Amino acid sequence: MSNMVLGRYLPLDSKIHSMDPRAKIMCMLFLLIAIFIPAGYVGYAILLAIVFVVVLMSKIGLPYIFKAMKPMLFMMIFLFVINMLVIKRGNLLFELGWFSIYDEAIFQTLYIVIRLLLMISITTLLTATTKPLDLTLGIEDLLGPFQKIGLPSHIIAMMISIALRFIPTLIEETQRIMKAQASRGVDFEEGKFMEKIRSILSLIVPLFISAFQRAEDLAYAMEARGYAPENKRTRYKLLKLRAFDVVAMIFCALVIAGLVGVAILV
Amino acid sequence: MSITFKNLSHTYNEKTPFPSAALNNINLTIEEGTFTAIIGETGSGKSTLVQHLNALLLPTAGEVDVNGFVIKADEKIKNLKSLRRKVGLVFQFPEYQLFEETIESDVAFGPKNFGIEESIAKAKAREVLELVGLDESYLNRSPFDLSGGQKRRVAIAGILAFDPEILVLDEPTAGLDPQGAKEMMELFKKLHTDYGKTIIMVTHDMEHVLNYCDDVILLKNGEIAMKSDVKSFFKDDLTVHELDVQPPHIVDLKRRLTACGFAVDEEAFDLPSLVASLKGELQHE
Repeated sequence: MSNMVLGRYLPLDSKIHSMDPRAKIMCMLFLLIAIFIPAGYVGYAILLAIVFVVVLMSKIGLPYIFKAMKPMLFMMIFLFVINMLVIKRGNLLFELGWFSIYDEAIFQTLYIVIRLLLMISITTLLTATTKPLDLTLGIEDLLGPFQKIGLPSHIIAMMISIALRFIPTLIEETQRIMKAQASRGVDFEEGKFMEKIRSILSLIVPLFISAFQRAEDLAYAMEARGYAPENKRTRYKLLKLRAFDVVAMIFCALVIAGLVGVAILV
Repeated sequence: MSITFKNLSHTYNEKTPFPSAALNNINLTIEEGTFTAIIGETGSGKSTLVQHLNALLLPTAGEVDVNGFVIKADEKIKNLKSLRRKVGLVFQFPEYQLFEETIESDVAFGPKNFGIEESIAKAKAREVLELVGLDESYLNRSPFDLSGGQKRRVAIAGILAFDPEILVLDEPTAGLDPQGAKEMMELFKKLHTDYGKTIIMVTHDMEHVLNYCDDVILLKNGEIAMKSDVKSFFKDDLTVHELDVQPPHIVDLKRRLTACGFAVDEEAFDLPSLVASLKGELQHE
């Protein structure tokens, strides 16, 4: 499990790491919107260049981004194959009996693959350079204005941060239970269908029980320390928007504008 | 037949940027039929060591020989189940492994996994539940309705049910009240003397080490700092002191008596014999 890349924070020291999480989230949103502007190759080239520069600035390194991409590889191949078979527009490139490939199919697939690639790199950049706790602080602040229409932004942020906090704990717990059941002769890899169901049950039931137990303990611990979500709370860590953050947000907003321009012109 | 570790090392997260060595070049023999304690500070590698005994962890270097079943680094294991049946490992807080609807089927779960027929597994479940002190009225109850100590008994019964030759216990009395802990230790003693099981127990409780175990292995920073029989381990005042082991009460008492000028019998490791030796000395004067 320790080689799981998706969503893991990398403690490095860079200009991107020290950005305000709110600014980073906004930048990510702008760039994600930008991906879906149909600005053709020029648009994707611009976005790829931006992502490339940001990856360099963040010091996390391209190999890390590629590692994050790995789980998506299967999906990309799958999409590629489906598109090849389904899209029958544009110029015919290749034909063998009933099987034919059109250039449109290749373009379409490339678009999708590039979009996926961009989305994963951008979100990985955010999670790799922002501590989970800062991320939730950022989300809480950004959702703040919606409080007026009854959105419990603090509760949502607290839920997200508790969920994030318990991911490693639950992974550890799962490994512990798997080991204990393996000692009782459970084989998690092989076995007949019914045996497999039994073995999964022997993992799921204790995991749920312990998760509920943890939830209860945590709730009491929070209450014992006077936690009340509706009360006004102060913060130990205050977020501060700096010049670089503002520049980055304006830049990302301009990217959208620029790409819209390109899309209209092309 | 015995358990032998040969130049065994284990490194967690090997081949990643964050490797951490847990065990370093362990050489060790544990004889069949002994009751061995493994002690050491948190993080000294106790749990890592015992998890090699049923191949939950594989050595990153060196090998383990468990009664003839050899596990080598970088070698695929065949017939893993036969090893796991031979070595019953009870984890710390084993009650979280319970999952079945009734206690009977939870205890019979292990034997069934090892290919024992249902009716025989159930008979075995009755037998071991009796052994851990839970009568027939418990068979059809849910394991989740029990108290903490009872849950632990059921969990241990679930390991005993497939009759392992070697019983490995990782801090079996952690979190139990003194009475419950004592009953638990009496159970292990019975398994050792009456059923001839080889028992390896990770523990922090020196009283248990002194009162129940034959041998003691002290781990320090992933290496064996000391292995000896229990009595000479506690007799050796210096080792106990230098190796930073909190001695059992009786050993501590003897040391204080010696400091006050009493000639205390070295072999006295329980209160009556200590009192007797002191009486003898006083009458002598």
